[in-house]
Amino acid sequence: MAEVVFLAKLGWRNLWRHSRRTLLTALAFGLGLALLLISLGLLDGDHEQRIANRTRLVAGHVVVQAQGYQDTLSQKLLLSSRVVTATAESLKVGTLHPALGGVSPRLIASGLLSSAANASGVSILGVIPEKEKAFFLIPHRIVEGSYLDDEKATGIVIGAELARKLKVRVGSKVVLMAQAVRQSDAAAANDSGGELQSTLLRVVGIFRTGMLVVDMYVVHLPLAATQTLLGVPNQVTQVAIFLERESDSPIVARHLRSQLTGVPVEILTWQESLERMAQMIWLEDLFNNVIGGILLVMVGLGVLNTMLMAVLERRYELGVCAALGLRPGQLAGMIMCESLALGLISIAFGLVLGLGVHYHFATTGLDLRWFFDTDLRAVQSVFDPILYSRLSLARITGSVGIVFLMGIVISFYPAFKAARTELPNALRVL
Amino acid sequence: MTQWVVELRDVQKTYQTGQVGVPALRDIGLRVAAGEFLAIAGPSGSGKTTLLNIIGGLDQADSGEVWVAGKNIRRLSAGALARLRLQRLGFVFQAYNLLPVLTALENAEFTLLLQGVPARRRREKVQKLFSEIGLAGLEDRRPAQLSGGQQQRVAVARAMITEPALILADEPTANLDSATAVALLDVMEQLNQTHGTTFVFSTHDPRVMERARRLIRLRDGQVVSDEKPHQSDGLTRQYGATS
Repeated sequence: MAEVVFLAKLGWRNLWRHSRRTLLTALAFGLGLALLLISLGLLDGDHEQRIANRTRLVAGHVVVQAQGYQDTLSQKLLLSSRVVTATAESLKVGTLHPALGGVSPRLIASGLLSSAANASGVSILGVIPEKEKAFFLIPHRIVEGSYLDDEKATGIVIGAELARKLKVRVGSKVVLMAQAVRQSDAAAANDSGGELQSTLLRVVGIFRTGMLVVDMYVVHLPLAATQTLLGVPNQVTQVAIFLERESDSPIVARHLRSQLTGVPVEILTWQESLERMAQMIWLEDLFNNVIGGILLVMVGLGVLNTMLMAVLERRYELGVCAALGLRPGQLAGMIMCESLALGLISIAFGLVLGLGVHYHFATTGLDLRWFFDTDLRAVQSVFDPILYSRLSLARITGSVGIVFLMGIVISFYPAFKAARTELPNALRVL
Repeated sequence: MTQWVVELRDVQKTYQTGQVGVPALRDIGLRVAAGEFLAIAGPSGSGKTTLLNIIGGLDQADSGEVWVAGKNIRRLSAGALARLRLQRLGFVFQAYNLLPVLTALENAEFTLLLQGVPARRRREKVQKLFSEIGLAGLEDRRPAQLSGGQQQRVAVARAMITEPALILADEPTANLDSATAVALLDVMEQLNQTHGTTFVFSTHDPRVMERARRLIRLRDGQVVSDEKPHQSDGLTRQYGATS
């Protein structure tokens, strides 16, 4: 033990023989870690925002819907109120309750919205206004008027792009036409669709998400009004479940699957219901890891160069140590201790710098409007112009672990060179 | 029966310079008894350093037998050779070769530490030896804060501290002025007499040759003379060149 401590002390002191070089090398290596942490923080922050926005826009973190709905989007596939109740009850069982944010049933259909000036195909979302306000995005993106409430039974909320197309504003009357899901007996007999139904509504609010497809085609109206319009009282398309932590989605989905056995429903996590976005995020993570890896390798080569130089310029000294009886393993250990110390200094630098910048971006945010002044309406995601950095402890420890491991791997070759100090050649340098 | 610390039989060493072989040692036979104070003298290129390196296990002979402290070192593995150097041999180099990042005390206790001697015992031994050789009070100084003579005395202390069977010193006075060189020789002679440690020097310094109790002269890799200038000294009654 004393020997290891001594070799570590020797390594540490050797490191400071060229303090400027050591500091510059540690700074370079630390900068690599800092950049990794900053990029991971911003990327994770972006992903967190995108996931939050998208799940608040579409179907929550976990969605329960009739079997086959994900693939067909058929508005005939509905859940009865019994399933909705069973789902809500299942979520109260066991230890899941603290992770639960809320549950919101929704009825989804397509229709045609007409004004005096124009008409447009729309995606109808029948919602419970109070639940929608608590969990979903659109109530918080109202730019004109207000969101639905229980007193606005004939109210409708539409997107800004749709309002522009229909030339309507808050207070304007519009007619919503949709095909009823419940068929008449004659229609059921020849498997044709339900009858066309229409209702007169008043625009109570206009929202803008910045996502063109949503602002142009999505309309919200009260669940009861939608059920009446479609002729499906007490039925909904899906139950959207919100969680405190997005990462709990698989656990909750598993739990529900075990509780709702025998019920013809599909229970999907957001990764499954928003598969494209989940894959995009996975790809971005992968790409960022590759870039981070390349960055660390480049910095690592610089550190390798420094350590190798330290070994080569101390060849004579290593020769003396070998002559005095230091075994090859001890010579290698001495260099590895030195490299390890350099790695730890680098990590300290990297953590201070990386977490410092992360803290700034986590609290103040990175305003992306510095880089462009147009909105990104065509992006298939709700876009927040201010990006907040997010770093989990696992990300930090993982990044530090990688840099630490890399420091060790980098030290292998210089340590090997030191262990191979050849006597008496090493003593002939002077 | 005489106890030989070093015994060389027909040792040969040739260095390859390109395609040309340059003989460094030719048929060297040598015996060094315990407690000797022996100098190996000769002009540059005569093979002094090569001979010391081979005795110290720092270099390998091409042929012949090299016995040091009872071991045939040509048959030892690198690890065993390192252990032999650590436990039975001490080295003093021409350029002091102290580790610059360690204090005088840490340099001196370096080999003790590698032997696993506890810290307290190490400090006691170093303090005692430093007092003996006039280094008391300099324990915490780094090599750069010591004079050449002081550095070389620390190097001698480092070599002596493990109480080795043999100390090999390669031109230890070459970088010292006369007064410092004489003082160093006094220290080494004193250690030789009080501790009975065997000293083998390579040198072309007449002051060292004068102080040696046995003087071996080399030329072109061969022993040309083996003298005993101080026959009266009882420490070197039994020795001799076998070639």
